[in-house]
Amino acid sequence: MARLTRKQKRAVKRAAGNTVNLIFKLFVSVLFLFPFYWMVTTSFKPYLETLKFPPTLWPQDFTFEGYVHVFQELDILSYIKNTLIVTGTVIVIQFFVNVPAAYAFAKWKFKGQGLMWGIVMTGFMIPGQLTFMTVYFMFADWGILKTLWPQIIPTCASAFSIFLLRQNFKQIPEELVESAKLDGSSEWKILWRLMVPMSKATMVTTILFSFINHWNAYFWPLVMTRDEDLKPITLAIERLKNLEQGLNYTDIMAGNVILVLPLVILFLLASKKIIQAMAYRGMK
Amino acid sequence: MGEIILKNINKTFGNTKVLEDLNLKINDGEFAVLVGASGCGKTTLLRIIAGIGPATSGELFIDGEEVSDLAPGKRNIAMVFQNYAIYPNMTVKGNIEFGLKNNHVPKAERERLIAEVAESVGLTEYLKRKPNALSGGQRQRVALARAMVKNPKVFLMDEPLSNLDAKLRVAMRSELIELHNKLKTTFVYVTHDQVEAMSMADTIILMNKGVIQQQASPEVIYDDPNNVFTAQFIGTPSMNILPLKNGSFVGYRPEKVGLTPEETEAFYKVRGRIITREMLGSETLYKVQIISGEHQNETVMVKSLDSGFQEGQDAWVQVALKHLYFFDGKEQRIREADRAEDYGACVRCLKGEEA
Ligand SMILES: Nc1ncnc2c1ncn2[C@@H]1O[C@H](COP(=O)(O)OP(=O)(O)OP(=O)(O)O)[C@@H](O)[C@H]1O
Ligand SMILES: [Mg+2]
Repeated sequence: MARLTRKQKRAVKRAAGNTVNLIFKLFVSVLFLFPFYWMVTTSFKPYLETLKFPPTLWPQDFTFEGYVHVFQELDILSYIKNTLIVTGTVIVIQFFVNVPAAYAFAKWKFKGQGLMWGIVMTGFMIPGQLTFMTVYFMFADWGILKTLWPQIIPTCASAFSIFLLRQNFKQIPEELVESAKLDGSSEWKILWRLMVPMSKATMVTTILFSFINHWNAYFWPLVMTRDEDLKPITLAIERLKNLEQGLNYTDIMAGNVILVLPLVILFLLASKKIIQAMAYRGMK
Repeated sequence: MGEIILKNINKTFGNTKVLEDLNLKINDGEFAVLVGASGCGKTTLLRIIAGIGPATSGELFIDGEEVSDLAPGKRNIAMVFQNYAIYPNMTVKGNIEFGLKNNHVPKAERERLIAEVAESVGLTEYLKRKPNALSGGQRQRVALARAMVKNPKVFLMDEPLSNLDAKLRVAMRSELIELHNKLKTTFVYVTHDQVEAMSMADTIILMNKGVIQQQASPEVIYDDPNNVFTAQFIGTPSMNILPLKNGSFVGYRPEKVGLTPEETEAFYKVRGRIITREMLGSETLYKVQIISGEHQNETVMVKSLDSGFQEGQDAWVQVALKHLYFFDGKEQRIREADRAEDYGACVRCLKGEEA
C-alpha cells in the first residue's frame, strides 16, 4: 500500500472523527425522539391496534377517535383554562418578584446578603413533597382551598430563576450602572430600562422554564385540589386512565399530545434565545 | 462654575489604603490631567468626585458647595468611562437621550440638543444605530456626546483614548482640546501617558501610590520638578539621577546634555564612552558609560542632535549648571531659592571641593 502523506492521513482522521460524531448525534436524537414518535403515532391508532403484538410502527387504520374522545368525555377546555390561568398568573407575579430580587442580589451590598442568598438557595433545594402537608393546612386555615390560589401562591418566586437572573446581572459591567446613576437614573429605571432589556435571553429562558414547570405541574395540584373544576390539564390526562374500562392508550396519548403541543411549539420558537442564554453563561 | 476642592480625602478598600489625606484644588475651567502609574488611584479619585465610589472620609466641594451627600445624578457632572460604558440595548440616540429624559427635559428641547451635539461630534448619520454596529472611535464619540449633551459643570474622563489606535488617538486628542476651548468647563482627564498629559493639560496632577507628587503646568512640571519621582516620570527618556558623596542626588535631562568630542567650559563635565546608539530621526539617543571621576561606570542617557558618534567612541558629557537638579536623601528637590545652603553644598560636592 502506498504510504499516505501527512495531509492525507489528517483528512482520513478527520473524516473518521466526523462519522463517529454524526452517528453519536443520530443515536442521541433517536433516543430522545422515539418516545415522542411513539406517543404521536399511538394517538392515531385505533384501540385494538394499540394492543397488537408485535406493535405497529405506523398506524394501519388512521383515526382521530382518541382526540374526539378527549374532547367529548372530558371537559378538557375547562382544565386547560385552569392551567392557563395558573401558569399565566404565576409567570406575571414571578417576573415582578424575581427580577428585582435578582438585581438586588447581583448589584447591591446589604447586611445579611449572604444569609439571605443562602435561604433562597435552600428554598430551591427543598422538594415540595416535604412541605405540602403544612402548606395545605395553612391554605385550609386561610380558606382558599376552593380557589386556584393554592396552585399559585407557593410559586410566586422561583429560586432557580432568581439564580439565573442574578448570574446574568452580575455579568453586566458595573460601569453601566454607574453611568446610569450619573445620568440621573433611579435604581428602578436602571433595572427596567437597562438590566432587563440587556438580559432578554435569560428573561425568555426563565419565563419558559416557569411555563413548562406549571404547564406540567402534577404533584402539587394533585395534593392541593379536590374539586374537578380547579384541576389543571395534567390531572385531566391522569383521569383519562380511569375513564374507560382498562387503559385506552389511544385516548391517553391523544391527551398527552394535546398537553405537550404548546410546549413543543413554544420551545421551537424560543430555542434560539435559550441556547443564547446558556452559551453566554458558558463563555465566562 | 466648576471649581473642585478635595480636603483630607481618605479612601480604603477593606484594609488597603488607596488614598491618604489627599488635598487638591482644580480651578474652574481648567483642563486638569491626572497622571500616574497604573494602580496609583487615579480612577479612585475620579470616582470620588463623581460620587459613584465615595471617599471613606474627607470633604469634597464643587463650586464651593460640599457635595459628599449629593447623589451622582445631582452633581451636574458627566463622566466618560475607560470602556465607554455605552448602553448596548439603546441606539446612539437613546444613549444620548437617556440622561436628558431622566432630568425631564421636554421632548422638543431634547431633539434640538441631540441634533446639535450629534452634529458637533460627527454622529448625525449614526443616531439610529446600535452601539455594537459602531467602531471604537465612534463609540468613543457616543460616550463624549452623552457627556456633552448634559452641559455639565465638570467633565471627568478616565483614559478615554486608551482603546484607540495611535492615529485616531492623536486626532481625538486635538478634538478634546478644541472641545475644552469651546466649552470652557472644568475637565479632569485621567491618563497614564505622560505625552498625552503634557500635550493636553493646563495643569498636571502627578500621582504616585495615592499621593500627589506635584500639581503644576506642563512647563513647570518639566522644568522645575519637586522630587525625583516627578523628574523621572515626566520626559522620555527619563532624567539621569546620580548619587553624590554627601547623600544627595544630582540629575540632568538627556536632552540637556552637550555631547562633544572636545572639552568645553561647561560646569559639569565627565568623560564617557558610547555604548549604544539609537537614531530617532532628528535626534539620536546614546547610552553612555561614564569613564572618569566619581561616577565612573554609571551609565547615563544622552539625547543629541549630533548623530555622528559611533559605538565605542569616547566623548565629553557636559551640562550647564542651570540644567542640573539636586535632590536630598529623601528624594525631595533642593532649590537654590529656598535651600541655598544645601544647594551650595551639593554644587561643591559635585565639583569635588569638599564632602
Ligand atoms: N473595589 C476595589 N476593591 C479593592 N481594591 C481596589 C478596588 N478598586 C481599586 N482598588 C485598588 O486601588 C488601587 C487604585 O486603583 P485605581 O483603579 O484607582 O488605579 P488607577 O490609577 O486608575 O490605575 P489604572 O491606570 O490601571 O487604571 C489599586 O491598587 C487597586 O487594586
Ligand atoms: Mg484606572
